[in-house]
Amino acid sequence: MMKKLLYFTFATSLLISCSNDDDPQTDPIPPAAYEKGILVTNEGPFNNGSGNITFVSEDYATVAQNIYRTVNGKELGNIVQSMGFQEENAYIVVSNSAKIMIANRYTFERVDSIKTGLVNPRYFMGDSGNKGYVTDWGDPNDNSDDYVAVLDLRTNTVTTTIPVAFGPERMVSYNNKIYVAHQGAYGQNNLVSVISGNSLESTITVGDVPNSMIISGNSLYVLCGGNPTYTGNETAGLLVKIDLLTAQVSQIFTFQTTQHPTNLTMDGANLFYSLNGKVYKLDTASISLPGIDIISGIFYALQAKDGKLYATDADDFASKGSLLIYDLSTNQQIQDFQTGIVPGGIYFND
Amino acid sequence: MKQNGFHIILAIFLCTFSAYAQLDSIQQLPEVMLTDSKLVHFSKGFKLEKLNDSIVERNASSLTETLRYNSTIYFKENGFGMASSPSFRGTNAAQTAVIWNGVNINSVFTGQTDFNTISPLNYNEISIRSGGGGVQYGSGAVGGSIHLNNTYSFKKIDTTQVGLNYGSFSTVGGNASTTQIWGDHYLNVGMDFISSENDYDYVGKNQKNNHGEFLRFAAKVNEARRLKRGVATWNSEYTYNDRNFSGSLNTIGKDSYKDISTRNLWQLQQRVGAFDTKASVAHLFEQYRYFPDSEKSLYDEGRANTFIGSFQSEVLLQKKFRINGKAEYSYINAEGDNVGKNSRKTLAAVLLMNHKISDDFSYGINIRKEFLNDFDNPFLFSVDGKWNVSKNYALRLNGSKNYRVPTFNDLFWYAGGNHNLQPETSYQMELGQEFSLGKLKADLAAYYISSEDLIKWIPGNSGIWEPVNLNNTRNYGAEVVVNYSVKLINQHTLSFSANYSYTKAEDLEKEKQLIYVPFHKATGTLQYNFKTLLVYFQGLYNGETYTTTDNSYAVKGYKIFNLGSEYTFSSLPQITFGGRLKNVFNVYYENVAYRPMPSRNIQLFLKFNI
Repeated sequence: MMKKLLYFTFATSLLISCSNDDDPQTDPIPPAAYEKGILVTNEGPFNNGSGNITFVSEDYATVAQNIYRTVNGKELGNIVQSMGFQEENAYIVVSNSAKIMIANRYTFERVDSIKTGLVNPRYFMGDSGNKGYVTDWGDPNDNSDDYVAVLDLRTNTVTTTIPVAFGPERMVSYNNKIYVAHQGAYGQNNLVSVISGNSLESTITVGDVPNSMIISGNSLYVLCGGNPTYTGNETAGLLVKIDLLTAQVSQIFTFQTTQHPTNLTMDGANLFYSLNGKVYKLDTASISLPGIDIISGIFYALQAKDGKLYATDADDFASKGSLLIYDLSTNQQIQDFQTGIVPGGIYFND
Repeated sequence: MKQNGFHIILAIFLCTFSAYAQLDSIQQLPEVMLTDSKLVHFSKGFKLEKLNDSIVERNASSLTETLRYNSTIYFKENGFGMASSPSFRGTNAAQTAVIWNGVNINSVFTGQTDFNTISPLNYNEISIRSGGGGVQYGSGAVGGSIHLNNTYSFKKIDTTQVGLNYGSFSTVGGNASTTQIWGDHYLNVGMDFISSENDYDYVGKNQKNNHGEFLRFAAKVNEARRLKRGVATWNSEYTYNDRNFSGSLNTIGKDSYKDISTRNLWQLQQRVGAFDTKASVAHLFEQYRYFPDSEKSLYDEGRANTFIGSFQSEVLLQKKFRINGKAEYSYINAEGDNVGKNSRKTLAAVLLMNHKISDDFSYGINIRKEFLNDFDNPFLFSVDGKWNVSKNYALRLNGSKNYRVPTFNDLFWYAGGNHNLQPETSYQMELGQEFSLGKLKADLAAYYISSEDLIKWIPGNSGIWEPVNLNNTRNYGAEVVVNYSVKLINQHTLSFSANYSYTKAEDLEKEKQLIYVPFHKATGTLQYNFKTLLVYFQGLYNGETYTTTDNSYAVKGYKIFNLGSEYTFSSLPQITFGGRLKNVFNVYYENVAYRPMPSRNIQLFLKFNI
């Protein structure tokens, strides 16, 4: 009986150890395979794993998971927070691993990495020329050490850092200036920093928790989520319009106190954003909140482009998510692709 | 006779549970009393395993190590020595109760016990009770409970032990304890510590385990005094842990954690007429400080005081019916940077009954009702029976309803805590078979657990994670325990023990295996004794575990082997020295994804018995 048991245990253990194939490798794909399509950055499981990137071709015919590893044989690192582009390169910001991995944006062959001078990097923004910017929280529990790192993209090093208010997050650039939204890291902030060259030029006070921005003409739209209720100081979400020529707030649209919108994106003359499990549409010509709700769904990331809305669903944040594509003329879902774990960013390779 | 009503005699324990006695013979100390007698009297239809001293000592670096190699319980350990949480029969970490001398010591904040913060050397006895124990032990005793007991006796003893440990990764440990018994007094005092740089290699990765240093210090005082018609006891322990949390394959460890706990229990046992009564007062204190950056002085703190007062009375009628009634009041007062200041009061009434129909058959019915509770007052029950079919074969059967109340973190965490949470509830059944044929003992158990309203943290509308009563799960599985020993010529003995478990733990909505629950786990030890020389070979097989709820990613299964030896000089004082080579084949393995476990390493020890 004991023998049998031993044999059984042994046999089962063999069986189990042979059946490990959690993430099958796809065949190597020829160079420039990731041109013309959608790239989704997947944060990956927090603390105990690696994020990755999913590619979906423009014609939806090809879907490739974990493309950086497929090409380079290596993982990106822990928490693939975001990605930015400059020239031919993709700058993949890996926050928990405190680094930026640089790859050719069309082939995803590794180019270089930046591992020095970063603590908790969040977003990358390329400037004209050889300059790049990275928002960095520093120690997220310390509100006084946040900065924007200035990168030399020829040497891929941090050349200098610009101390800024706490919680710098997303950036947009306009006319050689970088606009940094201070969402507020683990807390809440209400500023947009204006950076020019290697220095902080000014700060613009917006609403609480500015979480997304869009530039349209000479205007910067900043969507502020407002302080959530748990803060004990709940504030309404705001849509703030800034005149970029004067760097002044020109208009403020106010949500209800309990409304905390996120994910501002734009296509044509329309703004789109998420609120309470719905996507709303706003005509910039005549903004009246909350706008028209067009699609239902709790989305982690949202991007509108050329008549389509791209949205990610992170499910329970502990399993593979999905990329959903909607036709904005009918507001109907037209595609659904599996992604990696916690799909947090949607980008386009034209 | 006067002590009989109050105390549990080890001999009973030995008889009843002989099927589980592990390899080494248990010291035949007469009249050793347990401070938690319920464990034995009212758990007859439950699987109860006692880990003997030698097994504890050889895996003494932490309670995780002790149990990992000697039970079917799976541990999710964030790198060696780091946070460690159990999954008992596939249940979640807060569904294994740790019971110290009859008192539930799971954290007020997390509902769990970090098994790396417990020194296994602080106790005379470590027992594993499988299956639901909610009636007797309250919240969290769902998958099973781990019992850390200090015993006492009044037979004159004067013994002192001093041990020293040294091992790889700059691991240093020491322990000393003394037990003095004179007249009506029992006194046991001890301390132990372990400290390690814990900077092991990640096998084949050209990386080291950085920032994983840990230190644990534990001290205990156990006192008992025989009174005219009873006994007064005091159990006390203090533990301090200071750990840096190690990084992983792709992250750098920065944070650290310091925790302190003190536990005190005073009991007065008196015989009043036919009744054995026991009045208890307990105080538990826990404090943690989490440093997001170990180099900085900034930290989040939590502190909780738990006061428990209870009174119980037990009577044995016609030598057949044993009935125990208990009322227990507990008051928890907790304060933390993330949970504010909160308190909880609970009054529980417990009725336990065991009916011995014959020498071969007994059954028990146990019920618990709580009052003052912040939740729907749960009514818990358990029914168990044991039938000794023959000399070689016995059957166990039990069924129970158990629960787990939301923790203070679940309820009050800033931000996300949900005041509307209800307890997790679970129903379970178990059928066990015990075989014994000479030196061969085997135990086969099959169980089924159905759980509802499991608390899960999910992202809410505002992007804040909040706990909700969401998941329903179904666990079922089978466990096998085998022990065998054979006397070879002269004084040579060969013995073997093994555990195997199959665990299916399924999320009913997703129809997927729960994360970090291996389907298969097996442990085994082959031991050879010659006089006072002992050599053993220990193995662990831990099957694949999923890391994502859709079962799309997994941590590979692994097999780890340890080789150990020890030798005792029968001098005065008695000296034992020995060592253990761990991970003999230097295999790379992860217990939690991306968190490699130690490379091959060695631990040496020297022990004086004075």
